[in-house]
Amino acid sequence: MLSAMPRRACLPPFVVIAVTILAGCERRGGCTGANCGTLVNAAVAEPATLLPPSSEDIVANDIDEQLFLKLADVGMSVNTLGDDDFQPLLAQKWEWDGPLTLVFHLDPRARWHDGQPVTAADVEFTFNAYTDSAVASPFRPKLARITSVTQRDSLTAVFRFHERYPEMFYDAVYHMRILPAHLLRPVPRDQWKNAPFGRQPVGDGPYRFARWQPAQAIELVADSTFFLGRPGIRRLIWRFTPNLQVAVQQVIADQADIREQLVTPDNVERARAAKQLSVYSYRGNVYTFMSFNQRSPDDSTKPHPLFNDRELRRALSMAVDRASLLKSALGDLGKVPPGPMSELLWIWDTDIRQLPYDTAQAARRLNALGWRDHDGDGVRDKDGQPLSFHMLVPTSSGLRRQYARLLQEQFHAVGVRVEIDELEPSVVNQRVLTGKFDTALLSRSNDPSPSSGIAQTWTRAGFGGSNFGRYYSPDFERIVDRAVTATNRDQARPLWRSAIETLNADAPAVFLYALDNVAAVHKRVENVQFRPDSWAAVLRTWRIPPDRLIDRDRVER
Amino acid sequence: MTVVTWLLRRLVASVAIIIAVVTFVFILIHVAPGRPCAGQNEIIDPAICERVSHELGLDRPVVEQYWRYLGALAHGNLGYSFSLRRPVRDAIAETIPFTLQLAGVALVLDFVLGLTLGIYQARRANRLPDVILGNITLFVYSLPTFWLALLLLLMFGEKLAWFPVGGPNNPVLCPLVDSAYCFGDRLWHLVLPAMTLGLVGAAGTARFQRAAMLAVASQDYIRTARAKGVSERRVVLRHQLRNALLSFITRFGLALPFLLTGAVLIETIFAWPGMGRLAFEAILTRDYPLVTASALIASAIVVAGNLVADLLLGVADPRLRVRAARDLDIVTA
Repeated sequence: MLSAMPRRACLPPFVVIAVTILAGCERRGGCTGANCGTLVNAAVAEPATLLPPSSEDIVANDIDEQLFLKLADVGMSVNTLGDDDFQPLLAQKWEWDGPLTLVFHLDPRARWHDGQPVTAADVEFTFNAYTDSAVASPFRPKLARITSVTQRDSLTAVFRFHERYPEMFYDAVYHMRILPAHLLRPVPRDQWKNAPFGRQPVGDGPYRFARWQPAQAIELVADSTFFLGRPGIRRLIWRFTPNLQVAVQQVIADQADIREQLVTPDNVERARAAKQLSVYSYRGNVYTFMSFNQRSPDDSTKPHPLFNDRELRRALSMAVDRASLLKSALGDLGKVPPGPMSELLWIWDTDIRQLPYDTAQAARRLNALGWRDHDGDGVRDKDGQPLSFHMLVPTSSGLRRQYARLLQEQFHAVGVRVEIDELEPSVVNQRVLTGKFDTALLSRSNDPSPSSGIAQTWTRAGFGGSNFGRYYSPDFERIVDRAVTATNRDQARPLWRSAIETLNADAPAVFLYALDNVAAVHKRVENVQFRPDSWAAVLRTWRIPPDRLIDRDRVER
Repeated sequence: MTVVTWLLRRLVASVAIIIAVVTFVFILIHVAPGRPCAGQNEIIDPAICERVSHELGLDRPVVEQYWRYLGALAHGNLGYSFSLRRPVRDAIAETIPFTLQLAGVALVLDFVLGLTLGIYQARRANRLPDVILGNITLFVYSLPTFWLALLLLLMFGEKLAWFPVGGPNNPVLCPLVDSAYCFGDRLWHLVLPAMTLGLVGAAGTARFQRAAMLAVASQDYIRTARAKGVSERRVVLRHQLRNALLSFITRFGLALPFLLTGAVLIETIFAWPGMGRLAFEAILTRDYPLVTASALIASAIVVAGNLVADLLLGVADPRLRVRAARDLDIVTA
């Protein structure tokens, strides 16, 4: 069994002898078929719960993808308009019953892992739970335009909407994973966050929950009777390692099979050099920006003494050479976003008009605003006040800390002093949420629809929420409202472009980088596909051919 | 009888120390900036944050929270972890064995290697082997443990692949096979983290032990033993080492805090699911009950370790027993 850890032939003899003796009682594996295979994922965070409405972190979402099905899901194109590109999952088919009513017919073969059938009552129960304020699901606001979900019969669920809009289908299916009413109904809603079900879930997906070893691993096993087809890989293990570098080392040292995000160019290089690994690129869903706080950090009812001035924000934006920053910090591993978006969004368009990098023009504008270096100390000033501000950066992000230093240099070149405040993430979060910052380097992740993320972060709807800099533009919001209600991409695209150009002209932030996702996967795994919004969404179709099995694939339970 | 009284006094003092530590940590973590409902990497909706704070009673005055905490503690309730969403008692009960395994193996490595090197150096004091070893131990002692950990991981985990890169077990096999294999596998996974902690400790122990041995070497009874024609081996092991053990035992008491604080870094780097990693993640997420409980347990272990060290000192040196009894008489008179 030593070979369960490859390259162990290199072990020092004393270890080989000791472990071999101790391994005498160990059960030897023998799975040899097409559905063998163990995939160990080197994950950097451990979820607190696997109960979908209460799961906020990315790893929980990845695991829940395997345990709980949606009614339908977006396809690889990640097109969220209409229902053309959606794939059936729990719902066998659907139809529109009038402009505001959507009817889903459930697949009668669908079963919970305890053997109970999945019914329309589960769908109704799920919607009521997700929208219950006691559950406090982060997905609740995204379901606000659905009036009700009811059951017509045991296999028919009916969704009714407040209004007609192009992403009705997306809203109906994307945010909710259907839950087992018979198991969760007895649990008081205000206790869902801490419910034991969240640590020992019973789902209806391609994988069953097997075990959770706290701070170590979560293991799922394939449901061989899964109604949409037996998953290709028999066991999935999320192995928790709090340090990204160590997680990457586990994959490189062949002690794990996948790391879905390598994050840094150095990690990508090391993964490329490992013989047993293949490296895959796919569109990222996160963008990072320097947010200007437009309200005073001391009193949020008052404007910020510097950044309420649109012209000053524009001048500072022009002083930042985003392309060179990207090259210095990330090489080819990211792109300069054309606005507040990651490459996941279909509105990504490098032709969107942005403020140019032009230090001469930035200097002229600053001069025109009265910001000149009157005392010759290298920092511009006006009325005795230096042009100086603080930049908030979380210590947990090496990349953002690197960017902060590079930005500091670039601002210094135009006579602007930046003081970097590197603080713990929880402190950064507290200060950002309470508006106690001048500028902050922040990251946001997009879901596939521009309608939800952009509107939440850059309109008044996000005040007190994720519009941390309190940007408000009536023009921008008017165009966004029109873009959100456009019926197809051809209509929506120019509207979104116009909205983003309006926002870019106001410079509420400097959009620094959108990270490309690069994954390392063991070469023995076939049919590897990544859906950009959720890498694990199609994991059940991955497989390991019988002739490529290694010892850890063959281990029997 | 006097020893029992002495022990009781020490126990009362130990409880007072632990309460003081808990109070200090409780106040410190509550006045530190940052909120418990803010995630490590994601910014949580402020409305949800407010609701969670209210539910957890975090919007109440700190003094009220403190009294509530002490009241719960008196009933053996360590509280509920915000970040793990489970009772603190359960989380700590799961992690303590891992920390004790790591600290235990590191302690053995620390003292066996440190003692051996210290004796060897003392016997060859100021000669070439002593000079070389002295420089090596000084170098190792001055290494930051996190740097040594990363170096060992890179060398023996990634490059040579002799040892596993983090974790306490082979995640593929050990949940399934409950056998001697997993015991061996656990030891195999312990090598790098224990070596990191143990090597730095051993370097310190070696230097302490060398100094203690040399201090004893000039004592009259050592000279007398040699003059009586006692063999050098017997002089070293029976007379010199035995009397130098006092510093060794004192160092044992000091080693526990070193191992526990070192474990915070080492467990995080090596993905070792112990109490140090738990406490570190709890601090990042401002999980007040978990941080306070971790401090409580850690201080209890340190206090217990020092108590054991004091008892051992009394056993090893009758003079200390007499002094302790005399001090007690003075106090109780």
